[in-house]
Amino acid sequence: MSAGPYNYSYIFKYIIIGDMGVGKSCLLHQFTEKKFMADCPHTIGVEFGTRIIEVSGQKIKLQIWDTAGQERFRAVTRSYYRGAAGALMVYDITRRSTYNHLSSWLTDTRNLTNPSTVIFLIGNKCDLDAQRDVTYEEAKQFADENGLMFVEASAKTGENVEEAFLETAKKIYQSIQDGRLDLNAAESGVQHKPSQPGRNTLVNDQQVNKDTCAC
Amino acid sequence: MSSRMPPQLISDLAIERVLPVDADFGCEIESDIRDEDGVVVYVNISSHKLKLLFEMVPGMKTNNFVGEIFRAEVLRKRRRPPPEFQWLHKYASGAGSTHNSGSSCPGMDNAVGDSMERGVDGLTIQDESIADTLLGSPEISVPRQSIAKGATPIAAREIVIKYQMAMREQHYTYTQALRVYVGTWNVNGQPPTVGISEWLAQDPDPPDIYAIGFQELDLSKEAFLFNDTPREEEWQEAVLNGLHKKARYHKVALVRLVGMMLLVFVQEQHAAYVRAVATETVGTGIMGKMGNKGGVGVRFELHSTSLCFVNSHLAAHVEEYERRNQDYHDICSRMSFTRFLPPKGINDHDQVYWLGDLNYRITDLDPRLVKDYIDQGNYLPLLEYDQLCQQHSLKNVYAGYQEGNITFRPTYKYDPGSDNWDSSEKNRVPAWCDRVLWKGDGITQVAYRSHPKLRISDHKPVSSLFDSQIRVIDAAKYRKIHEEVMKKLDKLENEFLPQVMVDNTEVIFDTIRYLESQTRDLIIANTGQVPVTFEFIKKLDDSSYCKDWLNIEPYSGFIMPGEKCDIKLEVYVDKKSAFKLNSGEDKLYDILVLHLDGGKDIFITVTGTYERSCFGSSIEALVYISVPVREIPLGRLMELENAKEVTSTQDPYPIPKEIWFLVDHLYRHGLKQPHLFEEPGLNSDLLQIRNWLDNGSPDPMPGSIHSVAEALLLLLESTAEPIIPYNLHSVCLDAANNYVQCKQIVMQLPEHRKNVFLYLCAFLQEVLCHASYNGLDTKIIAALFGTIFLRDPPRSRGDLSSQARMNQQALDRKKVNFVYHFLVNDQSDFILGR
Ligand SMILES: Nc1nc2c(ncn2[C@@H]2O[C@H](COP(=O)(O)OP(=O)(O)OP(=O)(O)O)[C@@H](O)[C@H]2O)c(=O)[nH]1
Ligand SMILES: [Mg+2]
Repeated sequence: MSAGPYNYSYIFKYIIIGDMGVGKSCLLHQFTEKKFMADCPHTIGVEFGTRIIEVSGQKIKLQIWDTAGQERFRAVTRSYYRGAAGALMVYDITRRSTYNHLSSWLTDTRNLTNPSTVIFLIGNKCDLDAQRDVTYEEAKQFADENGLMFVEASAKTGENVEEAFLETAKKIYQSIQDGRLDLNAAESGVQHKPSQPGRNTLVNDQQVNKDTCAC
Repeated sequence: MSSRMPPQLISDLAIERVLPVDADFGCEIESDIRDEDGVVVYVNISSHKLKLLFEMVPGMKTNNFVGEIFRAEVLRKRRRPPPEFQWLHKYASGAGSTHNSGSSCPGMDNAVGDSMERGVDGLTIQDESIADTLLGSPEISVPRQSIAKGATPIAAREIVIKYQMAMREQHYTYTQALRVYVGTWNVNGQPPTVGISEWLAQDPDPPDIYAIGFQELDLSKEAFLFNDTPREEEWQEAVLNGLHKKARYHKVALVRLVGMMLLVFVQEQHAAYVRAVATETVGTGIMGKMGNKGGVGVRFELHSTSLCFVNSHLAAHVEEYERRNQDYHDICSRMSFTRFLPPKGINDHDQVYWLGDLNYRITDLDPRLVKDYIDQGNYLPLLEYDQLCQQHSLKNVYAGYQEGNITFRPTYKYDPGSDNWDSSEKNRVPAWCDRVLWKGDGITQVAYRSHPKLRISDHKPVSSLFDSQIRVIDAAKYRKIHEEVMKKLDKLENEFLPQVMVDNTEVIFDTIRYLESQTRDLIIANTGQVPVTFEFIKKLDDSSYCKDWLNIEPYSGFIMPGEKCDIKLEVYVDKKSAFKLNSGEDKLYDILVLHLDGGKDIFITVTGTYERSCFGSSIEALVYISVPVREIPLGRLMELENAKEVTSTQDPYPIPKEIWFLVDHLYRHGLKQPHLFEEPGLNSDLLQIRNWLDNGSPDPMPGSIHSVAEALLLLLESTAEPIIPYNLHSVCLDAANNYVQCKQIVMQLPEHRKNVFLYLCAFLQEVLCHASYNGLDTKIIAALFGTIFLRDPPRSRGDLSSQARMNQQALDRKKVNFVYHFLVNDQSDFILGR
């Protein structure tokens, strides 16, 4: 019963951006609840979700901000970029216009976040391959040219959703390890939490006791 | 109920109720933030129809209390068949009897009896032994708020995870029978001069676990006083050599207190699954402390099962059985593995194996008869006189433990080196001093025997084999279920984020007119599980959370779950915002950000159409408008407002016609009006005057003289810039004492403003000529119009420090002086100069 109140070592802030209807909220929902929302209302504001994940044995709490994609909110949602450690930039592979707008989303992201923010491009709705309007190759090239990580995913089937969120976290964690991301910088989007020398989880127990039973 | 508050001794407490932790038992924990005195934890306990609410202070004690309840729940899962709680009947009357009913039969699971025995200090729900025994409830709701907050004094996420995992144990564990070897030997201080595989390795298959106990390892004074002996090494060596050869072993622990030593090994294949190893010793010898008697223990967890081995050497001498009982109880209560929080006792283990020279004897029988029975192999009559069997069945000792049938010769006392009974003068009666007992589920004894061929001691070694069900964690399943639990918690965490419903995120206002307020209601309903603190927050780069024509009341607040908060949105365009709406610099459009503390943001769009007015229009634009303002297209007004150089086919008026209308009205009807400009007008009049000016009308101007006077002031105050442009503001103030300089500045004013300025000054001179009627004072009029002609640039009035206030007074005096010149000097040369 002596577990510390914190069981995660880091908090990473993510934002999800992209045109309206590309599936940002569905991606978040799929990631946090493992469920697909078939008729998801437009996001009028900024939704918030959290999940604890594990990267290299470290527990990390993701704080995910899902922004409204409607153009009229664009100016307001810009307030939320600041301090994001990860930005998931989403387009809809069945609607070319959402892909065409990526450069403007990217400009905002670059301008409003810090250089170490990891930007991950997601081509969503890859389950609708028949209605595809943007090829994988084309988007991949865009991602490469701009130094973005990229997958095609489906919030409906869950394909690559987990991967996108986790890969982003891994990249951020790497940046911390390499010292590229300064945790003390106010807007790094990462908070470090004091972690207890826990011995209460089953997994930890094993490690701790290896030494006591050495022969 | 207690006889002393707060209770200090156990005796201050009486048992009020005893609740079984059965399927009907429920426990919910809520922690709540209280205003000043911090956090309180509420524990809701329900059992059958009874509901109890405990308000507790977070901390270790509460932690333990809740922890024990959790543990009881967990243990219920493991107990089969479920206990019937018959012992509870005793408490049905509410009496606190701690007498042992003695009704439970020997051999059955006796943990209940054990707790009875300890009734004096136990029998609260915290009591571990009871918690161990009772059934748990199926559901404990997790402390929801706490999870959402990420931290809480009790039941933090980690504990909840642990608990949830324990509840699902059977889904990720399976049992595996492991062979457990338990051996005990009082070696009478002898060194190992012979091999001991005869004792340790006589079975065909190697055991998975060895627990080997010695007593009287060393009888020397050094060992007794300094707990130091070469025998430890020697016997350990002998044991290592004597272990079964068909397997490789890993030492889990060695613990020794004087002559009592306990060694525990597991097969190497199991070593990786051994965790939380701890050892402890309890001396019950001389003064209840010394280590010549007492017990040593090793506890650890193998896979998911906790095991405890206790090796004890209890008090000697035939008649001392009560002393032995006492030693047993002392060991039970004092053996505490303190590296755990709370410390674990012997009883806090799934399986306990107790071995040792327990020293119970055969009493009340003639030694010769005893030996005869033994020679006949007829042990049953003897066992009736065995003190341990007697005391055990009376539950005076080893309650809850079992012992197998004894089918071997007594192991004490022999002449060393032989199989002959003690031939010394004492001619001791043979006895089964060396015993093995066990407690826990899933344990089957498969052998219980002695090893008479080992003759170096006056005792024969004893061993017992068990097939013990060890719960093994299926790593893949464990990970999967762990993940599920984490997901469930994540989900809860998300569910317990603050949630609200706003009845309308697009608030649309009807046509908004100058000085006419309009309100809309917004309902924020807390639809979530936690109290919500909301606030309308600023957007990036904005100075306020809403536009200056909008007012939100309240703009922040607190809503309890299930409750609502009405928000009033009021749009009111006045002199501060009118000109921006006229020029198109601003629109009746705003996106409000409703922020939930610790949660999401909701955007609320506010829109409306503004009906343009001469109020808020600039003098430069108005002079080009010959028709009522409402009659020109909106675009044209914006064009006029924003144009640097106005292009127009028609000549502008010298001054705006609206100013002329108002002044003319006052000139004709109000010169003699007492307190002209000093009394406020009526709001309704102002709106009518506004309409009259903006729409045009053949009717006479509506409203009282005072309303018309105020309309004039408002018209002058609503412009984007005052008559004296901001860039000349300080120049004017600097020149305020010098009329000539002031005149020069006025001459440099943009043409239409100069016209308005001089026109108004001329009119005011006329007004002041009628001072005998209207009672006006030049200084007062100068002061009034000073603040209008020389309106302060935006934000300079914001600073309210005393220094700034003094400066402001000085500035205001200069404004009066500036205007005063133009009210007392003849201006005709000026006007002619045009
Ligand atoms: N077939 C399919 N439909 C999807 C997928 N993801 C989202 N949708 C659908 O697309 C629609 C829009 O999804 P949302 O998640 O609301 O989109 P959004 O990006 O959050 O939109 P805004 O909140 O307006 O910015 C919904 O009707 C979803 O059911 C997907 O992977 N496959
Ligand atoms: Mg959305």
